Amino acid sequence: MAAKKRKKGGISRSALVLTFLILALAVLVIIFFNGQGGEKVKRGAEAVAPKARTEAKAKPVETRAVTLFFVADDDDLLHKETRTIPAGPNEADEAERALAELIRGSEEGLSSPLPARTRVRQVFIAKDGVATVDLSRDVAENFAYGSTSELAAVYAVVNTLVYNFKPVKKVVFLVEGAERETLGGHVDLTRAFFPDYSLVAR
Amino acid sequence: MRFFRIVRPAAAALAAVLLFAAAPPARAQEPALRTVVIDPGHGGLESGAKGRFGNLEKDITLAVSLKLKALIEKGMDFEVVLTRDRDVDVSIENRSAIANNHKASLFISVHANGAVQKKAAGSETFFLSLNATDEETRRLAYLENNSSDLQSRIDPSTDDDLMMILWDMAQNAYIKESSRLAELVQGELDAMLGTRNRGIKQAPFKVLTGVACPAVLVETAFISNPDEEQKLASDDFQNKVAEAVYRGLARYLRKGE
Repeated sequence: MAAKKRKKGGISRSALVLTFLILALAVLVIIFFNGQGGEKVKRGAEAVAPKARTEAKAKPVETRAVTLFFVADDDDLLHKETRTIPAGPNEADEAERALAELIRGSEEGLSSPLPARTRVRQVFIAKDGVATVDLSRDVAENFAYGSTSELAAVYAVVNTLVYNFKPVKKVVFLVEGAERETLGGHVDLTRAFFPDYSLVAR
Repeated sequence: MRFFRIVRPAAAALAAVLLFAAAPPARAQEPALRTVVIDPGHGGLESGAKGRFGNLEKDITLAVSLKLKALIEKGMDFEVVLTRDRDVDVSIENRSAIANNHKASLFISVHANGAVQKKAAGSETFFLSLNATDEETRRLAYLENNSSDLQSRIDPSTDDDLMMILWDMAQNAYIKESSRLAELVQGELDAMLGTRNRGIKQAPFKVLTGVACPAVLVETAFISNPDEEQKLASDDFQNKVAEAVYRGLARYLRKGE
């Protein structure tokens, strides 16, 4: 009996070790899969967003009308022209599109006061109503501005933004991501601009 | 709250006293007109507007400015300082600094205009528009009520930030006089040049902002208009522009005395 007992005791001891090992393995496996599971959830979330976007694209694109300001040949004023652009997701995106259209030019025989090579790098609209417009260096380089054309270029941008986008009260310019004194030696670009509708034809 | 209501005006008053302590009483010794600074627009690598026949704004502004300088030196009792007398780059800040360092009584910037529209034509005279923010408007109200001669009022010991703000807005104290100068110069341009009279206008031109005296920017005619470009390039037209600005200046000085 004593030997049996001993034997039994021996078995239970190895069983204990085995159980411990199995438990440890189980814990490791749970930790392992939990970690992976977390990853999977994260990836899942990432994967959801683009999917939603493609779904939105599949729907008919929402649009909105914007008013652009161009120069005419027979007077020195800015003239309004309406254009339809894709809407959203936010107003800064729409503002970028509106300015790109302004640079692309008129569909009614008017001229854009901005150099055609200019790209809109970014528009940022702050909560205090200041829109910061970052234009590529082409807006200022290799383009000979006079006072009149420089005023037209600045106010075409400022008027387009303030006229179309309610949160925008005034506009600050950056050229290639940096502050710049003037576009071509005339208009002070270091200050925020309010719109000037006195330059606009009625 | 009540404490702050009392302290704030007191602090403002103290600041004002500190700022103007060194300045002489207002208008007691207003200096007689002595120096006119003429600023030929652009120069060097910066050509300004260009004409179809290859004329550059920077060359025409220099030619007109040299003629104007000769007229003033011949007919008036003034020293004339040019911001450049040859084809070199001068930064906009240096242009106003030259005027302020010479304690200029008047500042005249000479330009030739350019527009996208080839038909745009005529002559116009600008003075500074404020386009000021709320904060600037408050400072401005203060300056307008307190300064007739900003130059003598900016104490050299004033700290740098405040100096910069004051210089940056130097022209604001002279808007009324600048407008009068612009009107008289534009009247003479209209009488002498036979170009379209585009009148006097206000614009936020960088070169005018820092000038601490009455200042105007004359847009003689459009170099982007082929007809006017050829006029601008001619000696005869340049002489007329110089003569017109000179006469406007003379009328301004007569009325001012």
